[in-house]
Amino acid sequence: MNKVDISVILASSIHESKNAVGSLMYQLQTLKSELEVPLEQVEKINNIEEGLKQLNDEWVEYLYLFKLASDGYDLQTETLQVNEFLDDQVFVLSQSATAKNLILNYQCDESLLANFDERLLTSVISTAVYNALRFAKSKITLRAELRNEFLVFLIDDDGPGFSDTENEEEHDFLQNNTGLGLYFTELSAQAHTNKGKQGYIEKSASIILNGACLSIYIPQ
Amino acid sequence: MAEVDFSNQRALLIEDMAEARILQKKMLSDFGFKQIEMAMKAESAIELLRLNTYDVVLSDYNLGSGKDGQQLLEEVRHSSLIPNTSTYLMVTAETSIEMVMGAIEYQPDGYISKPFSQALLQRRLLKLVESKQKLYSVNHALDKKNYELAIKEADQVTEDFPFLESKCARIKGDCFLELKQFDNAVDLFQTALKERKMPWALFGLAKAYFFKGNYEEAESRFRQLMLDNRFFVNAYDWLAKCQIKQNKIAEAQATLIDAVAKSPKAILRQIELGELSAQLNDFQTAEMSFRRAVFLAKHSIYSNSSIYFQHLKSFIGIAKEHELTGRQVDNFKITLKKIQKLFGDNPKIKSGSYEIEIELFLTLDKVGQAKSAHLLYKQDIEIGLAVPKTERFIKKIEPLLGD
Repeated sequence: MNKVDISVILASSIHESKNAVGSLMYQLQTLKSELEVPLEQVEKINNIEEGLKQLNDEWVEYLYLFKLASDGYDLQTETLQVNEFLDDQVFVLSQSATAKNLILNYQCDESLLANFDERLLTSVISTAVYNALRFAKSKITLRAELRNEFLVFLIDDDGPGFSDTENEEEHDFLQNNTGLGLYFTELSAQAHTNKGKQGYIEKSASIILNGACLSIYIPQ
Repeated sequence: MAEVDFSNQRALLIEDMAEARILQKKMLSDFGFKQIEMAMKAESAIELLRLNTYDVVLSDYNLGSGKDGQQLLEEVRHSSLIPNTSTYLMVTAETSIEMVMGAIEYQPDGYISKPFSQALLQRRLLKLVESKQKLYSVNHALDKKNYELAIKEADQVTEDFPFLESKCARIKGDCFLELKQFDNAVDLFQTALKERKMPWALFGLAKAYFFKGNYEEAESRFRQLMLDNRFFVNAYDWLAKCQIKQNKIAEAQATLIDAVAKSPKAILRQIELGELSAQLNDFQTAEMSFRRAVFLAKHSIYSNSSIYFQHLKSFIGIAKEHELTGRQVDNFKITLKKIQKLFGDNPKIKSGSYEIEIELFLTLDKVGQAKSAHLLYKQDIEIGLAVPKTERFIKKIEPLLGD
């Protein structure tokens, strides 16, 4: 069996696992709604739910990564209200932040419209936020703005920042130390092209929160 | 978020997995829906959509062995079984999203990825319904097929809500096509494409060129769409239409054979390929396509007797060149039985099925069987179960019976 076959097999196994996780989440939700759970147990159930959700989001990321890396993903761009998009992201990720006593918020001009692949960027933002959750002390802020015909998403945290970390590599989206998260983010940005321009990412110090800042540039 | 009262709204939930269906039904009733109907597969959903009008449809993409959620959507949109003013939300897995998004021609109003929480579904639904409310006047005009009004309303909506501009532009473009204002359509789609290469605009432009009779311009754009988006098989159908108009029938057949290989479950495509193949005297391909079409016609709104008759005719085409195999004779009989069962009450169709049966027996040199069928045919005509013989039958077939 050659390597290509194995990667396809891995991708479909991930897909199976993701579906299994989904089914567990459904069952847990049903259980939660049917049982009168005492308050102290609710938190535990929420943690399990939260863990399953993160696992599901990771599998989703890997599936997209597989498609992007094997050149098999058709980008689906739409014109979207960026403010609404960020509001959605904060809505689905806030439970994870609250579980860690962190504040997650966003800043964006209400009238900002931009073109991008909503589902792919949803996965990108959740990957970046899950990473920031591991480093932030108290706060993570999502921002979006237009700069020279690029839509820029910025994910800021008040953690130690890129430069303060002894080994920079360690901070970089090292979910399980594989560096996949950053690679995925980069491929996703690059998959967006328009009028001869291609998307890219940038790591820097956070100006607003003094931690790390990841910028994702999407050509408009 | 706006307050939306769902209590006087009617929802249809289409989901094949019991676990998810129960949970989603509970979610919908928690949102306030009093009337929630459920279907486990596309075929039963179509029956419900025929009978009732729903304000909200929540459909899974994966619906088991029958039609998938996208095919269901195409069928109900194509046949206006669901008004434009209703909200159609598709539940997708990451692996199916490209297939759904790739279908540029018929898209749901929104998507939600599995698994989702009740809070997320509520949020999605509210946002969609809100956006639908803003577009209500446009969609209402579309439902009334008043395209001039729809264009006017779309302009107004764009002015009131600039973020809906792209959606409105798309609707306007389609209205120009409906109104046969092809130059306006070309202008609109070209303007949209200057901003960004949006697939809907490229598709609209290609169609506008097609209707203007500018087949080469259209062809190159349909080919571009095929390259850009592997999942948009309808671009093949349109390319085939261009080729037919340019009288390149064999090329059109090859295009459709490719399309059918990619997406074999589309009944209209199978019918088109069958008809083209019969035109080219390629009765083997015609037979295969119509056999599939007959299979797909079950529970389809496109089911009509012509599909069955064309399947039967293709056997006569084959029999003129080769001996039929036992299997082919069996298939002929199966389709003949289906016609009689489905449409046998209609005397005209009854006659048609007699005539084609007799013709096949004669082609196969089974004169005895032809004669006994002829006898039954005559009896049925006398008692009014069948209509009088067609002229073609009297002139071409009856003399061969030799009585």
